[in-house]
Amino acid sequence: MRRIFCFTLLALALVIHFGFAAAAPPAKEKPTVKPPAAKTAAAAITPAAAAGDEKLTQVRWANHTDAVTGVSKLRLVFDTTGPVEVSSETTGSPTPRLVVTVKGATPEDLPESIAFDGKIADSVSISADGNNTVITVETPVMVEEGEYKAFTLRADPANKRPFRVVVDIDKPTPLIFKFTAGLKGKVIAIDPGHGGSDPGAIGPAGNTEKDVNLQVSLKVKVLLEKAGAKVVMTRTGDNDVFGPNASAVEELKARATVANLKKTDVFISIHSNSFSNRTVGGTATYYYQKTRYDALLARSIQAADAQQTGLQNRGAFASNFYVVKRTLMPAALVEMAFLSNPDEEKLLTDPQFQQKIAQGIVTGVENFFAQAAKMGGGR
Amino acid sequence: MPGKIRMLIVAFTLLILTLATGCDQGRPAVTAPPGEQQAQTQQQTGGAAVETVSITVYYATKDAMNLVPEVHVVPKSDKLLNKAVELLLGQPKNDQLVKVLPDGVKLRGINVKDQVAYVDFNDKLIKNNRGGSANEILAVAAIVNTLTEFDEVRKVQILVEGKAVETLTGHVDVSEPLSRSERIIKKAL
Repeated sequence: MRRIFCFTLLALALVIHFGFAAAAPPAKEKPTVKPPAAKTAAAAITPAAAAGDEKLTQVRWANHTDAVTGVSKLRLVFDTTGPVEVSSETTGSPTPRLVVTVKGATPEDLPESIAFDGKIADSVSISADGNNTVITVETPVMVEEGEYKAFTLRADPANKRPFRVVVDIDKPTPLIFKFTAGLKGKVIAIDPGHGGSDPGAIGPAGNTEKDVNLQVSLKVKVLLEKAGAKVVMTRTGDNDVFGPNASAVEELKARATVANLKKTDVFISIHSNSFSNRTVGGTATYYYQKTRYDALLARSIQAADAQQTGLQNRGAFASNFYVVKRTLMPAALVEMAFLSNPDEEKLLTDPQFQQKIAQGIVTGVENFFAQAAKMGGGR
Repeated sequence: MPGKIRMLIVAFTLLILTLATGCDQGRPAVTAPPGEQQAQTQQQTGGAAVETVSITVYYATKDAMNLVPEVHVVPKSDKLLNKAVELLLGQPKNDQLVKVLPDGVKLRGINVKDQVAYVDFNDKLIKNNRGGSANEILAVAAIVNTLTEFDEVRKVQILVEGKAVETLTGHVDVSEPLSRSERIIKKAL
């Protein structure tokens, strides 16, 4: 927004001063273009004339995993000989597909069809339609609004890049679960983070993360069982889940596997945070966007936990965390508070405060099932 | 046109121009990756001209919520990726920012192949990390975002002692090459 504002100001100034329309913003190599709403044109560039004599000359693609959110996307890039306009829409019938229309350009020496692995796209076909090109991406499930974007990039002569059309598609997040409200009869995996040979974070007073995580997890277990849920613990003592001196990945895999084999309804990993600046504090919850329920689970727990504890609410965030990514069911990783903060270290070791956190988590899970029941889903 | 009005227009335009350029100062140099940036020539005290380039390095905010770009002007060289990581291992210029990689970490080497930078650290990257996912998220993102500032790098694979690792402190999955994350960036303090 700020960037656009600045350029508007600059353009205005130039118009006043020199009396001609200023140039559009310069091309940017790594775009942060806002996703267009479904079925609307994303015209970053207005072609001088829709003469329709531009060409689509190259296509390339790559999968990208965001370093922080872990969101996987497929990016298709088409080179064009000049400025074009794109519009896009998604449909669920007869088969799920994303259709991108490139106006004013026809394909030249492009493959008619490209096969993909079916994780994000099954195939991409490219065909001429009068002066336009229609790019059809067949997808395994219908791509929803906000899960894709189609936009154009200006030529960037300094970096020897031509005009381009970019199509980004996120990995699908299907509704493959169906939930009912209430905790009774639910099977819930509780994963006390770290343990055994891995202490996790260590507080200024010497308390270990593995201990406080387990203490709170056991309190969550009691509360859930009281409410009629069945609890599957990844560990109940101070031990490694995989085995003594497991590698980090064997250990994390083992935790996800416990929940996957027992087919639990949800998976909750309980952790304590740490940072070099000891004044940092607060509670946060993380999820990996693998089903439509993961974000809801994390937000429900975060809201209830922040309310129960009165700690600073840092928020619920998408993350590229191993255990929430590799579990097959909706999962959340709770960072209860900062063990590196001396005040929060005291709270994390206080049984009364631990009970508050546990209650927050349980209330959050209960609120999740109530909300999830309204979402439908299942197959 | 009466002189007074003309002067007013010119003054107004100058003001707007100043504002518009001022806007750019808060923005990181993502638009011009350092490899492609026009080299500036600085006059050194000895009179010898040394060509310099600006490179962008990411450090964390003190609340551990975001990364902020910090531009460093360094002598032009063919080892700019290494230089960027070395800056990442050191302290930021701005005392409102904090570095996110633990002390004792050393860069073993960087190799770029098919637009993936394989960045190799010693085992202190894991051993000296004090744990905590806030730290781990920022560390991974700072490495990836700093290196993807370079035009020739699209993804980053983190290696420890020459080998791919699955995680640094048990939270973030770093088993595959990662792409830059815009979400965690705060453009200016």
